[in-house]
Amino acid sequence: MASSAAAAAARLSGAATGRVVKPIFSRDLDEAKRRVRELYRAWYREVPNAVSVFQLDITVKQGRDKVREQFQKNRLVMDPRVIDMLVIKGKMELEETINVWKQRTHVLRYFHETETPTPRDFLSKFYTGHDP
Amino acid sequence: MASRVLAQCVRSYTQRSARIIFGNITTRAAAVSVANQRHFCFNAGSQRKALTAQIKVSSPLVQLCRQYGDLPPLTVDTIRERVLYVLKLYDKINPEKLTGASHFMKDLGLDSLDQVEIIMAMEDEFGFEIPDAEAEKLMTPQEIVQYIANKKDVYE
Repeated sequence: MASSAAAAAARLSGAATGRVVKPIFSRDLDEAKRRVRELYRAWYREVPNAVSVFQLDITVKQGRDKVREQFQKNRLVMDPRVIDMLVIKGKMELEETINVWKQRTHVLRYFHETETPTPRDFLSKFYTGHDP
Repeated sequence: MASRVLAQCVRSYTQRSARIIFGNITTRAAAVSVANQRHFCFNAGSQRKALTAQIKVSSPLVQLCRQYGDLPPLTVDTIRERVLYVLKLYDKINPEKLTGASHFMKDLGLDSLDQVEIIMAMEDEFGFEIPDAEAEKLMTPQEIVQYIANKKDVYE
């Protein structure tokens, strides 16, 4: 009864957007954004614990900046279903990180490798050698 | 008969607790001493009656021996000070531009995720959970102070 009323409402709003789809979790963008914020909170609180458990060589600030960067990658998504799917994937990653099902290598895959600087002057190039 | 014995035990307990206050022994030790005292009360009833006249003077000390631990009471001014202190510690906020009414998004140029971080810092500072449905509406420091004062019943 409530689901049919919700379906009717979705049909009415869908008539404006052109497509009616079954929602995954959230019915509109605000609810999806709320889920994103909850996920961000959970990740924010988890970062110091992960840094100590996995004995990572990063600071907590760097870890939190990396979390922020991963969230900002998807900031232009507007579809609630896509946002829900991304939240679900984020929750799976969070669960694996909290329960230490991952290992240090899996966590560090988010970070770029530390680049060794390419040699510029003659002597450094000589020491590293070169393939002609 | 039983009430008289118990009254004698209470008076002997207050006399002992008057000494305990200066000795900083826990109340469990005092309870043990009361339990030991109890069987003495039956034997020394007549001797106690001579002492009760002196001990009655010290009975106001019964109120002093209870000590509870709690935080200092919150006032609106202390809440505002603490909120502004936490905001000044946040590295994405310029402390000169921060006032009580500065909007996070419009005046200070912060993100919605930054606002989530600020609310989490407030949760850690004041020690209680702020649910996300209400947290997304708190956009100025004054609103945060108002919300905390409402939650903690501080001079509504």
